[in-house]
Amino acid sequence: MISGTFHTSYRSDMALRRTWLERLRLGLFIAFVLLFPFLAGKKPYPIFLMNQIGIATIGAIGLNILVGYTGQISLGQGAFMAVGAYTAGILSARFGVPWWLTIPIAALATAAVGALFGIPSLRLKGLYLAIATLAAQEIIIWVVTHWEAVTGGVDALVVPPPMVGNLRVNTDFRFYWIVWLLVGLTALLTANLFRTRYGRAFIAIRDQDIAAEVMGVNVFAYKLLAFAVSSFFVGTAGALIAHYRGIVTWERFTIDVSVLYLAMIIIGGLGSISGSLFGAAFMTLLPAFLTNVGRSLQGVFPMMEEFIPYLQQASFGLVIILFLILEPEGLKKIWEDIKNYFALWPFSY
Amino acid sequence: MSRSARIALVVLLLAALTALAACGGGGGGGEAAPIKVGAIFDLTGPTSDVGAPYAEGIKGYVTWLNANGGINGRTIELISADYAYKVDQAEQLYSQFVGEGVVAFQGWGTGDTEALRSRIAADQIPFMSASYSANLVDPKEAPYNFVIGTTYSDQAIIAIKWAMDDWAAAGNEGKPKVALVHHDSPFGQSPVEDAKAFAEANGVEFISMAMPKGATDYVAELTRIQEFGANYIIIHTVSSPAAVFVKDAKAQGVEAKIINLNWCSDEFFIELAGDAAEGVYGVQPFTPPSVPVEGHKTPTEWAQANGKKVDVHFIQGWYTMDVMTAGIRKVIEEGKEVTGPNIKAALETLTNYETGGVTYPISFTPESHRGNLGSRIYQVSGGQWTQVTDYITAP
Repeated sequence: MISGTFHTSYRSDMALRRTWLERLRLGLFIAFVLLFPFLAGKKPYPIFLMNQIGIATIGAIGLNILVGYTGQISLGQGAFMAVGAYTAGILSARFGVPWWLTIPIAALATAAVGALFGIPSLRLKGLYLAIATLAAQEIIIWVVTHWEAVTGGVDALVVPPPMVGNLRVNTDFRFYWIVWLLVGLTALLTANLFRTRYGRAFIAIRDQDIAAEVMGVNVFAYKLLAFAVSSFFVGTAGALIAHYRGIVTWERFTIDVSVLYLAMIIIGGLGSISGSLFGAAFMTLLPAFLTNVGRSLQGVFPMMEEFIPYLQQASFGLVIILFLILEPEGLKKIWEDIKNYFALWPFSY
Repeated sequence: MSRSARIALVVLLLAALTALAACGGGGGGGEAAPIKVGAIFDLTGPTSDVGAPYAEGIKGYVTWLNANGGINGRTIELISADYAYKVDQAEQLYSQFVGEGVVAFQGWGTGDTEALRSRIAADQIPFMSASYSANLVDPKEAPYNFVIGTTYSDQAIIAIKWAMDDWAAAGNEGKPKVALVHHDSPFGQSPVEDAKAFAEANGVEFISMAMPKGATDYVAELTRIQEFGANYIIIHTVSSPAAVFVKDAKAQGVEAKIINLNWCSDEFFIELAGDAAEGVYGVQPFTPPSVPVEGHKTPTEWAQANGKKVDVHFIQGWYTMDVMTAGIRKVIEEGKEVTGPNIKAALETLTNYETGGVTYPISFTPESHRGNLGSRIYQVSGGQWTQVTDYITAP
């Protein structure tokens, strides 16, 4: 009977996964990700959903670094994704840069733009910063739709299909591997980031910025760094969307997207990588699930048929409200409770 | 939250996942299997006021067709859902419906049509929607998009053409001055370049301006138009801002004649603008029900029997589906398998397809998916749209 976890070496104490159970769970999850396309029989729809979840996870981890870990609220998520998507799109459509190279370039460009729009965070906190980032959202989208020489204005930007040899990479099945490889890298980098002095500084700023400054943390520099790192991953997600969908339109990156991502990390769990994944999966699957419930109800209650779309919308809101009331710490907390329950099973109290 | 409730939540989520995984199936089938057509509608989103009647038109057509023997005995199975004008939802539904084996797709707005453009070409799924943007008509750019309505560019050109005729007919010297006010979006921007080029080529002085988002009045824009001295104002937006614009114009005593393009030439516009709508002109590729033609008979009868309202958007949805069905019918009559590429090829042989006077005859070729070249001009009179001219075509 284990009564605690005891580490007898620095190596085991500092490991990313410290118990065999944690390693086992991670192994199982990786195995699931690797096997999923085959379990799904290579059908496009489930794989498409997984790709959507993967891209959303990268974006949500990015936002979580800023909001959950550093405590800086951002309503500019959609616009930062647009920067990533347009950078990747323009580079491959106009300049023939190889698609795999456009992803890191787009991520870096988004990091620069993110840091620029992070400057107000020096003086602004909380709701005021929210409004400043809302301005970023509006300004970037305005620039995207009006700077015709670069973005092509309001017209959609067609991105040439990413190729490896003669293979078109952006089919659902092939793109799956790129998306989930990047999800893995993002999660690994982020997990390690918060074991370094940089990540610790982010958390110190979140918990009490004045205390952090007193301790010698350069608050301004670290806030900007948080914006840049966050935007780096958000830009990666944007670049992936550009290559996956083969077309970039500004209408995909509106304020709705910013709010959706905030909802993802709040429902999933602030300041948590697994929470970002849970939130992304939840917000992607819930509408799909509700649509399918709605479709299966068609013809069952002919009188009700006209109301089904409204019921779908209403239940989407209801589920989110219920979640926040019943478990304000998000899906991550539910997952932890399950783990704790089984850790002491069958003697849990 | 109690532990059992938490476990219940998790179980529910897992159930949801399994249900989703189970939903992916379908496809295939024998000779007499129904032909699956996918559709996404905006029933609850920002454009639902016009999206809902359009959806009723498409659904109504399919129900009517199936009740009347289908296509040579084969029925159409319409697989549809609401996407609330959300692009990612549109993609989700599209991917799901393609997985279920749809061979053609009915979209709705600019957002989803543009977002799916590359994907439908890769999947070879013929696609129609209510977005009549001119950059969808070139098969080199958008090989699987088919445009049923007169494009926004052509509508604006038709409006300018008519303005020149009307100006000359009233015994005026020279050329009229034309202003184009438009929605601040890709949808609104779409006709500006082409309209400007046409106006300049014909010596018509022309300005265009975007209607600012969220504006509660358009006094500033009207002042600029007055200073420019426009004789004709073309409005390309949706009904509610157009109604506000027209009311402001009336309040300011603007003399210029106002011409609405199709998304504000509907019954909603008259309802919202009230008296100010009187005398406003409209370019509308789909004949409104207030101007009865042969093609209105079937949809109207069906709608009356099924308790649906008939307006111009219902008719628009009905005939969009009708043209798509014409393509599918050709494939079946030629004895070919009903697939996306075959439907595309069949649609590209469609010449002067008659819609009973509801639209200008529809033609597609492998070189052009600009199906509809002409629109009539209508005018609001006595609270409804009345016909002013016969079909005017864009060059």
